[in-house]
Amino acid sequence: MDSASIYYLGVTLILFLIFVVIVVRTYSKKHAVRGEEPKFRMMDDDYPN
Amino acid sequence: MNQQEGYADDIVKGFVIWSMVWGLVAVLVGVFISFQIAFPQLNFPPYLTYGRLRPIHTNAGIFGWGIGSFMAFFIYITQRLTRTSLWSPGLAKAQLWLFNIVIALAAVTLAMGMNRSKEYAELEWPVASLVVVLWVIFAVNIVMTIVKRREEQMYISLWYILATLVGVAVLYLVNNAAIPVSLTKSYSAYAGANDANVQWWYGHNAVAMVLTTPPLAIFYYFLPKATGVPIYSHRMGVIAFWSLIFMYLWTGAHHLLWAPVPDWVQTLAMGFSVMLIAPSWAAVFNGYFSMNGQWHQMRENYLVKFLIFGITFYGLQTLQGPSQSIRTFSAFIHFTDWVPGHVHMGTLGWVSLVLFAAIYYTIPRLYHSEIYSIGLANVHFWLVLTGQLIFSITMWIAGVQQAAMLNATNPDGSLHYSFIETMVELYPYWHMRAVGGVIYLAGLLVFLYNIYQTIAGAKTQAVAQRA
Repeated sequence: MDSASIYYLGVTLILFLIFVVIVVRTYSKKHAVRGEEPKFRMMDDDYPN
Repeated sequence: MNQQEGYADDIVKGFVIWSMVWGLVAVLVGVFISFQIAFPQLNFPPYLTYGRLRPIHTNAGIFGWGIGSFMAFFIYITQRLTRTSLWSPGLAKAQLWLFNIVIALAAVTLAMGMNRSKEYAELEWPVASLVVVLWVIFAVNIVMTIVKRREEQMYISLWYILATLVGVAVLYLVNNAAIPVSLTKSYSAYAGANDANVQWWYGHNAVAMVLTTPPLAIFYYFLPKATGVPIYSHRMGVIAFWSLIFMYLWTGAHHLLWAPVPDWVQTLAMGFSVMLIAPSWAAVFNGYFSMNGQWHQMRENYLVKFLIFGITFYGLQTLQGPSQSIRTFSAFIHFTDWVPGHVHMGTLGWVSLVLFAAIYYTIPRLYHSEIYSIGLANVHFWLVLTGQLIFSITMWIAGVQQAAMLNATNPDGSLHYSFIETMVELYPYWHMRAVGGVIYLAGLLVFLYNIYQTIAGAKTQAVAQRA
């Protein structure tokens, strides 16, 4: 395995770890209600605040 | 700016109208080149040949109709989801002018034979440079609007919009890196297999960042608007978004299976392509689950019909695509007519159905009117659906037959059929494809008439009210 392959694999792993953090945060209990708020708020956006 | 509502909507009208003009050009040229394949005597060198017209068809379709509409709806959606007016309506107006100049220049230069020979990246460096300026103007305006937003949280459509702005910029800059030798000719900065690898990293991710993320942004916005019910799960949408972004950029090399690029690159692309089924179908299920208790709207609400059929074709497309990325299946259907069947299910079925719904939804609201005829919208729906299905299914059958013939061998291992013999057998399918194209064109004309009458009626009504 040369340095280019290790670098390539390293970038993939870092991206995967970031993805795991996003999943954990999105589905955390703390975030459950707040994470669904935008879908309700967008239903009434015909006029600016 | 539309002062009454506080949103800069006049520019949205401009982009919608011009995207429809380029969409009509794309389909007209597409139908003509389908006849050129069925009847080769319709090729008139040098300008009206299949080789010159085909890139005009794809550029007008993807960049004129597709990106023109996306620009319209990104501006429309971003303002509403951020509850703020566009950062710079003046810049957007300049963008509309530049957009039309670029598409017109693309059509003229391609007709003259100026072509980089890279699929979906055909434009020579002067026109490609203008595309970069256009995209920077667009991206700055949208990003600055999001920066000054009044909504703290971003709805899922905004994530897809941001991904499109960043993704297209990176892909376009990298793949268009070239060394100009004259005003009309340049050579790629990459060589050999590396060039092919960069090209298909770009080519397949153009599918991701032009034909997937923008329609998803539009779908996620207009489905709840059309049904009056929020999407099933915003969090599922967020996870599907990030997994799609994580996976898509690795898949380009599945266009180069069995080609002289490293084996592990091909396997990686194959693996990520199959994994992409998960985020793609998460979006499909989000759409379907949003219809819980609302399925009656498929019968009653023409907008819902366009959107749900659109997401269904997206689902089918994202099952067929990963299948095609598997080595054995790719070896069978690659270089056959299966591929245009696949591509047109995505462009005509998925992207265009969603765009039709978005235009039907927005035009009456932008012009403070009602749609001219729901009956005509239904006729439009059935014509484009029938035309697209005839096109795609015919090409899939033709592709399987062609693949079987190309793979047939004699007992001594030599090929049973020559390439030209496979071509001769495909003529009936090419005739059917042209018929499918004509039916689709008829549907498009009904759509344009309906929109024209809606706008004309609104203007007449406005004049009457003033008088």
